Amino acid sequence: MDNLSALLEGFATVAQPLYLLYALFGVFVGTAVGVLPGIGPAMTIALLLPLTYSLEPTAAIIVFAGIYYGGMYGGSTTSILLNTPGESSSIVTAIEGNKMARAGRGAAALATAAIGSFVAGSIATVALTFVAPVVARWAVRLGEPDYFALMVVAFITVGALLGSSVPRGLASLSLGLFLGLVGTDTLTGQQRFTFGVPALADGIDVVVVAVGLFAVGEALYVGSRLRHGPVRVIPVEKGWRTWMKPADWRRSWKPWLRGTAIGFPVGTIPAGGADVATFLSYAAERRLAGPRRDEFGRGAIEGVAGPEAANNAAASGVLVPLLTLGLPTTATAAIIIVAFQSYGIQPGPLLLQSESSLVWALVASLYIGNLMLVVLNLPLVGMWVRVLQIPRHYLYAGIILFGALGSYALNFSPIDVLMLLAIGLVGFFMRRYGYPVAPMVVGMILGPMAEDRLRRSLAISQGDLTYLVTSPFAAFAYAAIVVIVAAGLWLRRRERRVNAELEQLAEDVRAAAPTQEVNR
Amino acid sequence: MAPEAATPGGSARRPGELVLALATLALGVFVVVQAGSISVPGSTNTLGPRAFPYLVGAMAAVVGAVLVVAVLRGRYGQEEGGEDVDPGVSTDWLTVGLLCAVLVVHVFTINLIGWPFAAAILFGGASVVLGARPWWRAALVGLVLGLLIQVLFGGLLGLSLPPGPLLEGVAIFRG
Repeated sequence: MDNLSALLEGFATVAQPLYLLYALFGVFVGTAVGVLPGIGPAMTIALLLPLTYSLEPTAAIIVFAGIYYGGMYGGSTTSILLNTPGESSSIVTAIEGNKMARAGRGAAALATAAIGSFVAGSIATVALTFVAPVVARWAVRLGEPDYFALMVVAFITVGALLGSSVPRGLASLSLGLFLGLVGTDTLTGQQRFTFGVPALADGIDVVVVAVGLFAVGEALYVGSRLRHGPVRVIPVEKGWRTWMKPADWRRSWKPWLRGTAIGFPVGTIPAGGADVATFLSYAAERRLAGPRRDEFGRGAIEGVAGPEAANNAAASGVLVPLLTLGLPTTATAAIIIVAFQSYGIQPGPLLLQSESSLVWALVASLYIGNLMLVVLNLPLVGMWVRVLQIPRHYLYAGIILFGALGSYALNFSPIDVLMLLAIGLVGFFMRRYGYPVAPMVVGMILGPMAEDRLRRSLAISQGDLTYLVTSPFAAFAYAAIVVIVAAGLWLRRRERRVNAELEQLAEDVRAAAPTQEVNR
Repeated sequence: MAPEAATPGGSARRPGELVLALATLALGVFVVVQAGSISVPGSTNTLGPRAFPYLVGAMAAVVGAVLVVAVLRGRYGQEEGGEDVDPGVSTDWLTVGLLCAVLVVHVFTINLIGWPFAAAILFGGASVVLGARPWWRAALVGLVLGLLIQVLFGGLLGLSLPPGPLLEGVAIFRG
């Protein structure tokens, strides 16, 4: 009951008109950047970080929560309405939803995605409300070596599973770990890898790295191979009241619930984020479809409803280790940690006690943001379509401009912008040769924390290395690495096979499509 | 969609990918070597400031070596996809170079002509490089955007963006 009263207090905080406005601003910006290709929630939060230093922590955290959830909603709109399926994480929705849109059922696809996201987001937030305090109470008992073990788990799974190639993911991770080393060692005050440059003594700013990788790197990469010509968006019928037919509701509600049940637990463990949850849900729906199985790959509503729900539920699940252990398992979560730190708040097991009102305001704003999103998204889809059609040269020029602004605003020093360009170029080459950038950001943020835990562990044990593995939890965690990575790789191989199948189907339709589209 | 298979034009990408793998390896070796010169203060009977860099450097070196071997054996990475990426065209290095050049110009003009105008150069330049026509419309959009951001973030939110000599006296532009 303690939690409920705390949550109610959180609601009381967020219900103040000014905070409601911040929440609205957050979900609005979040949806916009989710709709726009090329920018994600991680980059948006990183960008807004220096620009919101003048806000108080609660307001900033509420804005960031809105962006986090909004980004998840917006992404599905893009993959359903654009002719080209987007990034691999949303590929299953992209293919099913895109097919539905082509068949003139785009409105139903958008609606099942939005309502499914709402259902999943709401249930998962309730789960977060009850699970987080339990985990936090348990986490207080963990010792230094246990935390170090958890971080190693996060490193390995993030490096191996976020991306399409294990060695490239680990290379990206080690690059991030290296950037995290640059600066002054916190325990001994020694300079490391600063090359005598005073500007490096405080370390490289995470904001510059995140914005450089996600914004400038992305803009350079897309710019190098830009798809020219007008953006072709599949038209949707007007009148959102008739979007979901009774049959669509009947076919959607079970996938929503199943997607939530799959997504939330997968999100809480460091297993590659929403990507895995999305695919698991898709595979489950396909298996359970029975006679409708043939529709999968040709526009089955279950194939949109389930994965979209799983995606959102996983996003809430990610918040559990983030708020209770201070452990980021995705790039966005890592950036949120930086946001907390910039306000002098250290996420960890004590967060729920020391910053209880802030955390519960955050959770309450998730409930409210979810509600705002489903209300905003369905009627405003026409506007999001317009956003989707922004000419690409302006879009990417704008992304670079805001990236430059964000890093300049850190210290008002042009050097930071030059650094941004350098990191952006690294990001460009990584994208070009298939190195995932997310592990680099996670490594840079988690690296110094892991080093701290490691050295404190060994200070306690006076240099005895066996201390690191003798606690039951740490031993269990190291054993779990093998299981998680093996399961993750197996899943990914399956995912690839299913995707290849779907791609083939998509190609067939695409080959037949152009004539049909001109006629509309 | 097979990830590590040779793609069309794979041979053309090979030198660059090899360079990146070699760079990872070199970084690892460099970190290990440099870690040795981090000074360790006084008596530390436990882990000092060198240990973690050794670990990181070793990891980068090993992964880099694995990647070099993989690339030499023809196992290439899967380049990233995206809504606006045309998988059919080859990399346009001129665009990349020009975008970088525009950003460098922006950096060096901030303090000379003020942030809003430097922003206009950045936005206008980048969008023209990416294909915006006619160029004056892109420049105009950039100028409006720069001034708008200056008012919004500089004037209202209080970020100290330099307005530049031209707008120095105008109150709404000052942070």
